[in-house]
Amino acid sequence: MARFFPKSLLGQSLLAIAVTLLIGQAVSGLLLYRAAQDRRDAATVNAAAFHLLRMVNRETDSPRDIRRALRRAEPEGRIDIGRGRGERRRGLPPRLSGMIADASPLLPGERRAAGEEAQLREILARQGVSAEALVVTIRPVAQDTLLASLADEFPRFRARWRDGLSEREVMVAALRMPGESRWIVARALRPPLEAGVLWLIAAQTVLLFLVLLAATYLVLRRITRPLARLTERVERFARTHEAREPLPERGPEDVSRLIAAHNLLEHRIAALLDEKDVMLGAIGHDLKTPLAALRVRIESVTDETQRARMAETIEDLRRSLDDILSLARIGRAKDPPEATQLAALVASVVEEFEDMDRPVAIAHIDRIVAPVQVTWLRRALRNLIENALRYGGTAQVSLSREGSAAVIAVEDEGPGIPPEDMAAMLEPFRRGEASRNRGTGGAGLGLTLTRAILAEHGGELRLANRTQGGLRAEMRLPLSA
Amino acid sequence: MTMAAHAADTAITVLLVDDERTLREPLVDYLVGQGFVVLEAESAAAARSILREKKADLALVDIMMPGEDGLSLTRHLIETQNLPTILLTAMGEATDRIVGLEIGADDYVTKPFEPRELVARIRSVLRRAGRTAAGDESEDAHYLFEGWRLDPLKQRLTDPQGTVIPISTAEFRMLRAFLDHPRAVLDRDRLLDMVQGREAHLFDRAVDNQVSRLRRKIEDDSKNPHFIQTVRGGGYRFAADVTRVPG
Repeated sequence: MARFFPKSLLGQSLLAIAVTLLIGQAVSGLLLYRAAQDRRDAATVNAAAFHLLRMVNRETDSPRDIRRALRRAEPEGRIDIGRGRGERRRGLPPRLSGMIADASPLLPGERRAAGEEAQLREILARQGVSAEALVVTIRPVAQDTLLASLADEFPRFRARWRDGLSEREVMVAALRMPGESRWIVARALRPPLEAGVLWLIAAQTVLLFLVLLAATYLVLRRITRPLARLTERVERFARTHEAREPLPERGPEDVSRLIAAHNLLEHRIAALLDEKDVMLGAIGHDLKTPLAALRVRIESVTDETQRARMAETIEDLRRSLDDILSLARIGRAKDPPEATQLAALVASVVEEFEDMDRPVAIAHIDRIVAPVQVTWLRRALRNLIENALRYGGTAQVSLSREGSAAVIAVEDEGPGIPPEDMAAMLEPFRRGEASRNRGTGGAGLGLTLTRAILAEHGGELRLANRTQGGLRAEMRLPLSA
Repeated sequence: MTMAAHAADTAITVLLVDDERTLREPLVDYLVGQGFVVLEAESAAAARSILREKKADLALVDIMMPGEDGLSLTRHLIETQNLPTILLTAMGEATDRIVGLEIGADDYVTKPFEPRELVARIRSVLRRAGRTAAGDESEDAHYLFEGWRLDPLKQRLTDPQGTVIPISTAEFRMLRAFLDHPRAVLDRDRLLDMVQGREAHLFDRAVDNQVSRLRRKIEDDSKNPHFIQTVRGGGYRFAADVTRVPG
């Protein structure tokens, strides 16, 4: 059910209007139906009253008389028992509408219609007819023994019977005048309910809904259109962090003010980001230049071990500085990802370490092509290998395909990471205990940077302790077909 | 603007342009110690006025300077004097490097740098400048071989499907040496000589090692190479036709 519930403003508004309209129209439909019912009932009662009054004034025909008359008339076709076909002919033949009977027409167990009885009694009273007994009932035509037996007897009547008469209802009203033993019986067909009213209501509902829909759509479009444009803009800005010319302030005031506020915000954020870039560039420059001077100056240190140590420290500083600057700059890279042979990328990074005589080996490598930013991904892998070497002594690198992901894994044989520290390891400036004690290497930005680079590629970094000891770090990159 | 030099006639003259005195001073000392003649300038304007009177063989230019920046000065130096130039920068992004090389700088060194490496680069740039002085085809022209493409500026190798094949700088230099001499037999000494540069120490290790790495990246079957073939009697040959197209 929730699946069909509209999510957009326009959809929900239209649904609300449709529901409201439906309820309103259902109520008025019900009222109209009731009114039609009342009208029909009143008409039936009036017809019955008319026949009763007619008989009171002209008490002649008893059922026997009728039969005689019918029998006589039948061959000549003189008696009117329903000439036409179909519903156009509503009433029963006059001789059936009013007659004299010896007993009450009420069948055993049949319910009396109290409301109609009261109405009828009132009408008769107004015409100066006081009834000693009045019985009214409504029954399906098919259950009326008299009409049924007539239909059996007379082919013409049978034709009408089949033509829909048997499915209708008939009101049977019987009146016994004071001092009389015989009953005056009237029969009036109940007209079928006018279904046209309901069709009218349905048509009205549809028409109203269409008009309201058009009006609502026009009004809401003035809101949703600028909103949609704003949403698209915000999404793009979140992705690129690039300010563009301000969005035109359209729509009703509520919306246009929101757009104006967004324009201001976007402008401010872009300015802040630009400032950050300029500042980082300046920091980079201001710190790296003295570092470069220091690096040149230590060449005059004569003690070779001292000089090597100094060079190493400067190199560490440079790397930390690079990590900080990179982390701040990531996501603003200008070069788009390119389809790249990951096997060659992994091999070239591993070879860098081999050249420095570090114990890094390739365990397994598949040829996989994926869209990546080569410089950044190289850096991410380099960081993982450096970590493995720092904490685990060795590094085993593998590249394989797992479903729709390329997995570059770096495994070491170190102590691993206690499970409770696993999440914290990805935070900036966090380092494993071992390194803090040894006081070596890095600002602790390596994993953070790697994770950020993977996020930029739509991938993820996973850390897990291996069962045989050591840590397994996985870079998972999505492979878009 | 001082002239810190005592020099033989044959000494190489280097123009150092950097606004940071803290770096300029030790660097001048070091370069002089290495036998260079050094001209010092603290700004682009100073560099221009020095060059009106004196002649330099090579310029070391810091990119980020107040006033006219290093890129603008470099463009001027190359256009007016065809002066070999190495850029010094505090940034380290590939795009910055490419911008620098695109305007015609010969090389690019990121601060902080190893002084020895800087000297190696100076020599290598001068060697190349001497070789290419005769007006070779454009340095930036791409190499094409059997659908593969090597962009020398970006050091970017793509296979016939257009997939990027990441290679190291050493591999790039070696591949370029092969592509510059297709179908010629290059012995190990010659290869070593041609690709020696920043990673000179790599080649203390065998050239063979580097060749086998390169093969792994560009050959379908590195045991049975198609492009880089071993020639009996010591050496290698690039066995494909190479064309050059403007980048």
